[in-house]
Amino acid sequence: MIKLLKIILKAGEATAKYPFAPLPISPNFRGKPEYDAKDCMACGACTIACPANALSMETDPDAGTRTWSIFYGRCIFCARCEEVCPTGAIELSDDFELAVFNRDDLFKSATFALAPCRCCGTPFVARKEVDYVIELLVHQGLPREAAEQRRGFYETCPDCRRLQEVDRATRQAGMVHAAPAAAPPAKAAPAEMETAP
Amino acid sequence: MLAPTDTKVGKTYIDALRLKFPDVVLEESWQADNQATITVDPGSLPAVVEELHYGQGGWLSVVVANDERPLSGHYAVYYVLSMEGVEKSWVVVRAVVDPETLEFPSVTPKVPAAVWGEREARDMFGLRPVGLPDERRLVLPDDWPDDLYPLRKDAMDYRMRPQPTTDTETYKFINEARGETTVVPLGPLHITSDEPGHFRLFVDGETIVDADYRLFYVHRGMEKLAETRMGYDEVTFLADRICGICGFTHSVAYANSVENALGIVVPPRAGAIRSILLEVERLHSHLLNIGLACHFVGFDTGFMQFFRVREKAMTMAELLTGARKTYALNLIGGVRRDILKDERSRTLTLIAELRREVQELVDMLLATPNMRQRTEGVGRLETSIARDYSTVGPVVRGSGHRRDVRVLHPFAGYKGAPLPVHVMEGCDVLSRVLIRTREVFDSLALVEYFLDTMPEGPLLLEGFTFKPHRFALGYTEAPRGEDVHWTMLGDNQKLYRWRCRAATYANWPPLRYMLRGNTVSDAPLIVASIDPCYSCTDRVTVVDVRKQKSMIIPYKDMERYCRERTGSPLK
Repeated sequence: MIKLLKIILKAGEATAKYPFAPLPISPNFRGKPEYDAKDCMACGACTIACPANALSMETDPDAGTRTWSIFYGRCIFCARCEEVCPTGAIELSDDFELAVFNRDDLFKSATFALAPCRCCGTPFVARKEVDYVIELLVHQGLPREAAEQRRGFYETCPDCRRLQEVDRATRQAGMVHAAPAAAPPAKAAPAEMETAP
Repeated sequence: MLAPTDTKVGKTYIDALRLKFPDVVLEESWQADNQATITVDPGSLPAVVEELHYGQGGWLSVVVANDERPLSGHYAVYYVLSMEGVEKSWVVVRAVVDPETLEFPSVTPKVPAAVWGEREARDMFGLRPVGLPDERRLVLPDDWPDDLYPLRKDAMDYRMRPQPTTDTETYKFINEARGETTVVPLGPLHITSDEPGHFRLFVDGETIVDADYRLFYVHRGMEKLAETRMGYDEVTFLADRICGICGFTHSVAYANSVENALGIVVPPRAGAIRSILLEVERLHSHLLNIGLACHFVGFDTGFMQFFRVREKAMTMAELLTGARKTYALNLIGGVRRDILKDERSRTLTLIAELRREVQELVDMLLATPNMRQRTEGVGRLETSIARDYSTVGPVVRGSGHRRDVRVLHPFAGYKGAPLPVHVMEGCDVLSRVLIRTREVFDSLALVEYFLDTMPEGPLLLEGFTFKPHRFALGYTEAPRGEDVHWTMLGDNQKLYRWRCRAATYANWPPLRYMLRGNTVSDAPLIVASIDPCYSCTDRVTVVDVRKQKSMIIPYKDMERYCRERTGSPLK
């Protein structure tokens, strides 16, 4: 009994003052993911990595846009998005107070303009992503003119590129290819998985 | 986490089996150098499992049913045995089940530990274990359609919620008492429980004559979800959420099973980090349970003090992983985060503080006469019953069996770690509490050991090849005992079948034997002693079968009675 009283006296007050004082948290705490659309290029890597499907991408082929969005209600704060993001557009913060009065406040989104495929015209890749790739090539030491020359290649959708490739291969093999090369496939824009780098 | 090599640990068990039952073993395959799967003639299944279990020192860990019709045209059942004789290994006995008759002979009459696994195979796959003594539903609710078996490949989408078929509860509780008894139902729900359960205590006066219980009220369908919705590399994050207390150990067991199936060797540094976090998890889990033990014997001050000190273990987890719970650190092939110098030194400081403070509290607890009085000789789990039901963790160690996966089948970084296994012969609640207190100090020492000896090197092995339809076991020692995961990979970067067995799953079936002969006021304490993540139930209905009369007692009264032991609510 005396022992117990001693322990209690020594322990003093164990209660934290929170919420009247900020709660101390460890460095590298995984809190609410903060997203900055300025750095994002809608590559979709995070939406593939997210185990909880909190992140999603939706393409609107008519408007020629792609919308990235996060639903904090599904987020499990695992930081996989932060880990795979090539540009640091999403980072986990220290904020753990996510309560809202309105469910809609748990969503955040950003819309990106898409470049149409140079062959078939289907909007399929975010302009920002192509710009990013060109800049990356310049950064790697390629002269800017040479990098810009490749823009046409990057702005061709995977379906058309495949057809062009087949066409080129058959021509190289010396075979006569009867059909025109760039028969535009009458398909909606492909899923973001195919446009991911 | 052993790479498949030519060594075959445990081959002697299979050779002995072939000698005793000629022509019964149809096929033998090795998943890892300590894991073998033998396909046996279905008719001999019970005899083979019995021989391995009782004849050769095996413990039945889990029964896995699998719908293999798309692969080979039939169902299969797998009986996973942890062989703990001279050689330590895993032997999995597989038998195919005909897709027309759906029948296979039940093992339960020979090895009682199979009972829940076989009941679950009935519920989830519609397989019929012929001769199973207990044919009640285990997992599915009473209002589930009769002909819908959720885990069959052609059964249903994971989002489907069928219309309830009935409004009445049809579950029959089993009472083996001779003579008249009063029924005391405990449950089914309490907001502080992770896992609600409904208990029926059959009492004579104040003495429990028999008990039966029903669980799975919050069956979340995680196995189905993992098999259909998630990629195999995302399931580690789902496995983190199996338990609110010991989730990381499930995540390790799952990752382990996939790594074994693909023959991936995890880098040693990743193994050490996994072990450190498993011990941190054990620390907070054991401190929580010791705290609850105080609470249930009416020593709430002790409860508060243990919870205060436990906070240091939570801080340690936050420091090392970025979250107090759901560490989210595992990927297939290793871990995602390193332990750096600053984190290491802060952890060591916390360890030193914890060791001193827990020691003070444990001394104080054991000097409290009430503790010993209330727990000694209470909730006895006889050594033989612990054996029959293949119980695990502090429960089995408190009943005289030397079972600890960390020592028997070393995983993660445990190979060669200094780790005593505490065994007590008391078979009672006190033994379980004492074992947990000792294991707290072991965990503290182990965290220090791993931090000091952590090898250099990479954290994650990348660039392995996914091979469809491979399967293997993963296993860990959770705070509550052995966790076993059986995983078969699919051909679409998903799982074909994932069976995860939490430690407490093995400790529930023998609980009725622990309750028998004790008083009603000890029931919450006994249930808490298996550390089932919860120990309380919402309300109590008392049914007097003699007077055909029932009354409802609020849970608070029942808990108060457990703590104060005066003013019985039954009167």
